[in-house]
Amino acid sequence: MRYFLNLSTRAKLLFSFGLIWLMFLMVAIIAYRGLQDITWSEKELHDVHFTIALELRQLRSHQNFNRAAVLDMMLTKNKTEQLAIEAIINERGQEISSIMQKLSKLNVDPLFQLRLKELGSEIDTYRQTRKEEIALIQNGKIEEAQKLGMTTQKDRFEKIRLSSSEMGDNATKEADDQLALDQQQANSAILLFAVFGIAELLFSIAMIMLLNKTIAQPLNEITKIASLIAEGDLNVELSVVERKDEVGILSQAFTRMISVLKKMATTAQQIASGDLTGNIIPQSEKDILGNAFLQMLNNLRRMTKDILEGVNLIASSSSEILAATTQVASGAAETASAINETTTTVEEVRQAAQLSSQKANRVSENAQQVSQVTQTGQQAVEETVKGMYHIQDQMGSVANTIIRLSEQSQQIGGIIASVNDVADQSNLLAVNASIEAAKAGEQGKGFAVVAQEIKSLAQQSKQATIQVRNILSDIQKATSAAVMATEQTSKAVENGVKQSTQTGESIKRLADSSSKSVEAAVQIVASSQQQVVGMDQIGLAMNNINQAGTENAASMMQAEKAAKGLNELGQKLKRLIEQYKI
Amino acid sequence: MKKIQIEQERTEKTKIDWDGIKSRINSLHEMLSKKIILSPEEKRSILKARAQVLAVEKKDETFQKEFIEIVVFQLAAETYGIESTFIREVYPLHDFTTLPDTPSFILGIVNVRGQIISVIDLKKFFNLPEKGLGELNKVIILHNEQMEFGILADIIYGTSSILLTDIQASPVSTNGIGAGYLRGVTGDHIIILDAKKILEDEKIIIHQEAD
Repeated sequence: MRYFLNLSTRAKLLFSFGLIWLMFLMVAIIAYRGLQDITWSEKELHDVHFTIALELRQLRSHQNFNRAAVLDMMLTKNKTEQLAIEAIINERGQEISSIMQKLSKLNVDPLFQLRLKELGSEIDTYRQTRKEEIALIQNGKIEEAQKLGMTTQKDRFEKIRLSSSEMGDNATKEADDQLALDQQQANSAILLFAVFGIAELLFSIAMIMLLNKTIAQPLNEITKIASLIAEGDLNVELSVVERKDEVGILSQAFTRMISVLKKMATTAQQIASGDLTGNIIPQSEKDILGNAFLQMLNNLRRMTKDILEGVNLIASSSSEILAATTQVASGAAETASAINETTTTVEEVRQAAQLSSQKANRVSENAQQVSQVTQTGQQAVEETVKGMYHIQDQMGSVANTIIRLSEQSQQIGGIIASVNDVADQSNLLAVNASIEAAKAGEQGKGFAVVAQEIKSLAQQSKQATIQVRNILSDIQKATSAAVMATEQTSKAVENGVKQSTQTGESIKRLADSSSKSVEAAVQIVASSQQQVVGMDQIGLAMNNINQAGTENAASMMQAEKAAKGLNELGQKLKRLIEQYKI
Repeated sequence: MKKIQIEQERTEKTKIDWDGIKSRINSLHEMLSKKIILSPEEKRSILKARAQVLAVEKKDETFQKEFIEIVVFQLAAETYGIESTFIREVYPLHDFTTLPDTPSFILGIVNVRGQIISVIDLKKFFNLPEKGLGELNKVIILHNEQMEFGILADIIYGTSSILLTDIQASPVSTNGIGAGYLRGVTGDHIIILDAKKILEDEKIIIHQEAD
């Protein structure tokens, strides 16, 4: 049964109808075979048994006729008649031969064949004897002919007649048997036919019921569910059948479809209740409903999000507007007070401008005094520069003097060198003197003392020269230091000249700038007068601004109201949209 | 204001005492213009001091003992002495003439008041190591009956009397000078040269005939 259920519907139908068809075929074959057998049997009956019976009767009648003709011949003396009768006899004999030939060609049992041969030979012998009889008759030997006819010929004839009639009876009897057999065969064929027919009928009914149960009923169930789904009722359950045929596939597909639809329906219900968090996975790319649903959900989500953002934006914007308008309102009040303050300030500024004009007058006077002072300062600087130059000249002469001093000390050094030389020579002279004294012996002793004195003098003068030389080198150092000092002084003086020139220039610039300050002071006077005029204008403008401010405040009140309305609207929209969960 | 103050301080610091300088210069000028004239007391005192110094020397006990008179001089880093009896005179070396084809110890010849005298460098003669440059601007002229030549000296200190007993035998070779040329060393580390030996040394005599 399981195997049958798993077969496809086409295979099922093919199987059922094929079986029925096969049975039909069998019935037909059986009927055909039966009918053919009967036909064959009838034909045999007709061709063999009836032919034999009829032909043999014909043969017997011909035989009888010929015997009667021979007897006729015997009775007739007329030759021509005899000849005519003989011709008829020959003709009949020919017919008998043809019948015999026909019978011999029939396909019958060997016994019959044997008996037919015997009959044939009997007929042949009879024919020979008849020929002899006819010859006797024609020769006029009627008596002999009669005699022949009444003895052997008569036996033979009887024999033929008996044999042929027996054979004919046999044939008839066989035909009767055959008929009975045929009847029996036909009866059995009818029985078989009936049996097969009934079996087939039963099988067909069974198949119909089976197919009804396996195909039609499930389809019917599915159809009912489909019509329920068509009406929109998804609370249906399809009993799942584990089958691999189309019905099974259909029911599985239906189950899947129902589950998908149910899922869609629950998602749709979620969406309807405002929950947009559900997710939909399209069954395939061709899933129009799923894709459309997904797109719809996405669009809804995006839309809701956008709306939420928009609403938030509206809420925040409106609150901002509200805040801004309140700020503006308070600002307007502040502006009003500020304008009042500004107006008083303007008055103050006006007074200040007048004051500054007076001050500027005084500044210009001061600047003139300053320019006078700078002129005297400039003169003083020029004198300073002159003094500096004088110092420079003096320093030059001091340097020259020092250098001369240095040269003179060099000359002193030369003199000292010569003195040193003289001292050296004196020393040697003293040594020589002492040598001479030593040579003189006792007489030279006093001379030796003198020589010693000379030597000590020479040494003293040499030491003096050394001292002088030291002093000279000190002087040399001092002079070079003095020269350096004068050089530095001269440089310092140069710097002083430079600085005092710069000072002169600065004083000049000071004078210039003080003259410029005079001009500026004049300009300040003029501009402060302009300021006074401008301040009056500002006062007027302030009044105008004050008026505009009060108007602004009024329109701000209106704007505030509008913003409040907008804010409430935003809150309402927010509450509405927050019902949707994204 | 602050700047002006600083400048004032500076001028006070660098202010030169011109009056003091002037007075000092004047006093110096006066001192220079004055002639140095010693009073008789001063002269006397100086002379007296000198006499005392000389008297102290004369008081030396060695006077009675046997002594020799030497001329003390410096050559290279050593102080030498030569008996003054062998010395004719000392003479400052101004210029000299080198002689070709002579041993290296002969410096050359000098003209001493018209007399030609050959000069020997004892450092080279004794093969002493050259230690820096001396002055070598003095000549001591040695003589005896046969020879007369000068030797170079850096500084001549003067004459001195030395007890013969003070002279000690020198170590075997003092500074490479052959023992034959030495008489000994005094307590003051004066190397006494034997002038007689040097004068009689045949090495000194250069006799070379031109071909």
